[in-house]
Order: sequence, then structure tokens, then C-alpha cells
Amino acid sequence: MRVAVIDLGSQWTHRIWRTLRDLDCESEILPPDVSFSKVADADGLVLSGGAVRMGKGEDSKVSKCHALLDEFKKPVFGVCAGQQFIALHYGGSVAPAKMPEYGNTELTIIEPDDLFAGLPRKFTVWASHNDEVTKAPGFELLASSPDCKWHAFKHAKKPLYGTLFHPEVAHSQHGEEIYANFVKVCRR
Amino acid sequence: MPFNASRFVAQKAEDMQKYADGEAVIATSGGVDSTVAAVLVKKAFGRKLHCVFVDTGLLRKGEAETAKLNFRKCGLDVKIVDASARFLGGLKGVGDPERKRKIIGELFIRVFEEEAKACKAKYLVQGTIAPDWIESGSGMRDNIKSHHNVGGLPKEMGLLLIEPLRDLYKDEVRLVAKELGVPSEVFSRQPFPGPGLAIRVMGEVTKERVDIVREACAIVEEELEAAAKARKMEIPWQYFAVLLPVKSVGVQGDVRAYGYTIAVRAVDAADGMTANYSAVPHEILHKISLRITNAMKDKVNRVVFDVTNKPPATIEWE
Repeated sequence: MRVAVIDLGSQWTHRIWRTLRDLDCESEILPPDVSFSKVADADGLVLSGGAVRMGKGEDSKVSKCHALLDEFKKPVFGVCAGQQFIALHYGGSVAPAKMPEYGNTELTIIEPDDLFAGLPRKFTVWASHNDEVTKAPGFELLASSPDCKWHAFKHAKKPLYGTLFHPEVAHSQHGEEIYANFVKVCRR
Repeated sequence: MPFNASRFVAQKAEDMQKYADGEAVIATSGGVDSTVAAVLVKKAFGRKLHCVFVDTGLLRKGEAETAKLNFRKCGLDVKIVDASARFLGGLKGVGDPERKRKIIGELFIRVFEEEAKACKAKYLVQGTIAPDWIESGSGMRDNIKSHHNVGGLPKEMGLLLIEPLRDLYKDEVRLVAKELGVPSEVFSRQPFPGPGLAIRVMGEVTKERVDIVREACAIVEEELEAAAKARKMEIPWQYFAVLLPVKSVGVQGDVRAYGYTIAVRAVDAADGMTANYSAVPHEILHKISLRITNAMKDKVNRVVFDVTNKPPATIEWE
């Protein structure tokens, strides 16, 4: 099992690597301009968060990831800026958040699906975002917080997942289980 | 499988063999990371490892003595270099936190280069851990703060860098320490930043301000450690005082006072990449406040408690 982590510049990219390692999943952190051939044989892909302002048109800074998403047909999980990038790639919108969230927030699961299978309906997660997804055509809403609707989504037809919060940080409850659920999807 | 310390130590011992061709110098601060790095690397280098402790004049109360004692417990022979005049001199008139960090990082390297020359070292060993290079930023990653062991390194350095703990976080370093037989009073010490008290004095660093924050840090440490021992609270992951050179009005013995503010910070964390402020009982905060304002009546007449998590704040203030 090998999951490639595309580093969009998050403080917590290395935490994603650590979480996957703890799950006995081989992983490697790669730059956002990595060619498809380098990730072609991976079983899954994680797009990390980052300082890139997807809500201000800065996705052009990591534009090579668009081609990567087109070519990579296996499961993809986007976190924070990574989730926003996935939304943009599939015709959605991202804008500066009405109320940004830094630190803890309460997540309510709307649809457990694969990502939240076996988890409680409400729990605490940590976020650190300036922007948020405002429209995601073709995606199903999985979870929200009091201040932000699109906290977690899944594509209706493809194995594409995203969370605005960061399940990889130590303070997020059930974070490792969320990654374990994603790894399960990669194993299918 | 969670982090396996014994596998890590075995792997590093094997990796380290390729460096057996030269002498190495390591800067040991007495903290967890550099002490563990020294004990780990010493397995391969033996007597070819030269440990240096730099007294920057920015250390905590009694730190030089504690560090010396801890080095002995870990079987490390450490040379003490007093560079306090150089550090305080270099920081004169500087208020910007990033400038402060860079100046300190460069001064550290200058001292190490001198020590390396003296022992003809080829390698520089550092106890750099993951948050150090992550927060220092590069490429796509924003610079949050330049850690002294990353941001201060000159582009062309005459020494080859060995950083065995680069991919670890503090909780994992402590597991490695245990595996190596480092005593728990050494590896369970709270983190202390490389730039020392310089970044716990907001703005310009002067000897007077460092002395104030050193005393305040000592009081915070004593009170929280006593409270934890008495089972009134869990010991926080990190706890200290910060000097805010903002003055406010007070009244002391019927006399008008106009002094500095001390902020008390205590956080709980696993790896320091996220943190929540600790729920310190009011009676403990009360005691800390009284002790600080009584002991430093001429300097400090107000104490506040920091109730911010990381993010949005960082653990240290600069």
C-alpha cells in the first residue's frame, strides 16, 4: 500500500506522512509540480493543505496539480487547500471564508459514507483556513461545522474526498481513523 | 504501526557508519533534542564527538548548572563556552523577532565554526526536529519563524550537517531517549527554544529585560511544577512567562506604579504543531501573579494569562 502526499506547503504535510506511516502505509512527500509518472503506481493520493489562497485565484501557483487530477484515476483525498483545489478542479467555487476557523471547531457528520464510517455523529476537529468551498457541483456534503458548510465532501461518482479541517493533527479527534478509512478505500 | 524507537536507533546506528571518517562537533543545549542527538551520534563517533554548550546569556535561571548535571548523567563530556557578551551585544537595538532569531542563529554558527576548527571537525551535528524545519519554511511553505538551527545556517558552511532526528517530533524524540537509556528527568524536560529568553522579551532585548523574564519564568515553572506534584493539575507540555514591554498604571503601597506586563503561557500538546492553552486552576494563577508582582515590584505591576490556542497563535510569542 503506497499513498503519495502532494505538498502544497502546509505546516502539517509532514504530519500526514507520519499518520500514514503509523497506519503501516508507505508514503512519500512530493512537490506540487511532480510529474504523473512519479505517482502513477501509487494506490492513492493526498493533496495537503497550504498557504496558497485558493479563494483568491492562487491555484495557478500549483496548476500542474490539475493535470495530475485528470490523469490519476485512483482515490484522492484533499485536505484544506487540497480540498479547495479539488472543488475548483471540478468546476466548484472557493471564496474567502465568512468566518475563518483557526483551532478547534465542532464537526457534525451529515453522511458518514466511507470517510466517517464508524465515527460518532459529532466530534471536535482542528482547522486553520482563510478560504472555504462555496459551491461543489457533483459532490455530496458529508460534514459541516457551525461556521462552515463544506467541511467534508465526496464526489458522487469518483473516489474523490476532501476535508477542510485537518485530520492529521494531534488535536483532531478520530483523525487517524479518518486516514485509516481513506486507506481502506485505496485498498479496494 | 506507531513509531518504533528501537528500530529507529538501530537504523540510525547503521546510517551513521558512513560518517566514521571524521571528527564531529555538536551543540548541546541541555534540552531534550540535542542531548538525544548527542547520545545517539556518540554510539558511532565515540571520542570523535565533541560536545559544546554555549552560554548565550539568554538561558533560564540555573540552566547552566542543570545542563552540566544532565550531561554527566548521560555520559557526555561537554565543553562550556561563555558567549553571553557576544549574544547580548549582537542583539543591541534589534526589536524585530525574525532579525533577532537570525542574529542568534548566525552567532551560534560562528561559535560552532570556531570550536570545529579547534577540534578539526568535519561534521556539525544538530538536534533539529521536524517542527524546526517545517516552521522555518522554504519553497511553498510559509516562514512562520526561523528556527536557530535552520534559519541561521549560512549558505556556504565549511561543515557537513548531520541531523539524525529531522523526521521526528518531540513525543518520538522522548521515545528514542528512553530507548537510549537517557534518564527521564532529562527527556521529560519541557521544550525550550534555541534563541532562549531573547524571544520571551517582546521587542528589544536588554539585560534588564532578560533578567525580569528569567525570574518570571522561574516562578511560573516552580508554581506549575509544585501544583502538578500536588496533583492539582497535569503538568503542561510547555509553560513559561513572556515580558511585554507595555507599561500600565498600578498602585503599590499607596504609591503610583507604572511598570511592565508579564504574560503567563501554558499549553498542552503532543508534538507542538497544535496546542491548546492549559486549564491552570485559578488558585495557581493567583499565586503566580502575586509572586511575580511582589518579587519584581519596581518592574512589573500586571500579570495576564494567555488563552490562545495554536493555531491561531504559536506557543512562543516570537
